[in-house]
Amino acid sequence: MTNSHEARLRDLKLELPDPAAPAANYVPYTISGKTLYVAGQITVWNGELRYLGKLGADLDVAKGAEAARLCGLNIIAQARKAAGGSLDGIRRALKLGGFVNCTPDFIQHPQVINGASDLMVQVFGDAGQHARFAVGAVSLPRGVAVEIDAIFELV
Amino acid sequence: MHTGIAARLAALNLHLPPAHRPVATYVGWRRSGRELLISGVGPTWGQDVRFAGRMGKDLDEAAGIAAARLTALNLLAQAADALQGQLDYLAGCLKVFALVNSTAEFVQAHRVADGITDLLVDVLGGNGRPARAAISAPSLPMNIAVEADAVFLLREDAPNHV
Repeated sequence: MTNSHEARLRDLKLELPDPAAPAANYVPYTISGKTLYVAGQITVWNGELRYLGKLGADLDVAKGAEAARLCGLNIIAQARKAAGGSLDGIRRALKLGGFVNCTPDFIQHPQVINGASDLMVQVFGDAGQHARFAVGAVSLPRGVAVEIDAIFELV
Repeated sequence: MHTGIAARLAALNLHLPPAHRPVATYVGWRRSGRELLISGVGPTWGQDVRFAGRMGKDLDEAAGIAAARLTALNLLAQAADALQGQLDYLAGCLKVFALVNSTAEFVQAHRVADGITDLLVDVLGGNGRPARAAISAPSLPMNIAVEADAVFLLREDAPNHV
């Protein structure tokens, strides 16, 4: 069943983190019609913060891409919950918004956010292709290196 | 069908750049129903960066606005790519998120972002006026001066090529 996102996730032997509860008066996702909006996800694994610091000072691009991949895993975990517990309730990815905590001279934001973009295509196949932006931020919540939000279309 | 929007572009002496090809695992646009989501684009002509640098240090406001206008043309170029050149299927622009490469002291990001939204209104008319957020960014990919993404609304009869 190559069309099953759940099967592909199993084949990839990817473990998803528990979807994180929001830190304030907002929700981890909202649904409008068939559009699913996932709130900005950071580099946390089941409550434990990872990948703290700035690209261009504390982390190299490879570590940054790993951080983005972890944001992507959290996005997928939220999306799965939103879709009723199965990734097969997701029709496709539409959009990622990537924020990179970095020094002012850092310009390799796309290479960092690729960590999440590559993950979407691995897990969702062609349906994981998405529009995207990638930008630098002067600081991010709790000092994480990357934050990414997402929009999906539900089945 | 080179009427409305193509004719307006010509009257304004505006030329769309070739749609920038993303160099990673994302696409230039995604369509969902009547919404067309455009990836972040910048002041490029094809793959060439035309405006690099930071507001408040490298570029004055006029250059920033010129960069913003070229960024808006790239948003339209992606829409043209999605609609196989038939820009008249654009019903309007719903949302723009504008990022301006700025020093910490620069506080005129909204003035630069006006370059984007003014152009969209010039080309699309009143429906080209989007909801907008404009912020300063300390750095942008390839040191581009401006980056923006957008959500366009398509006409109900826009053919579904996707």
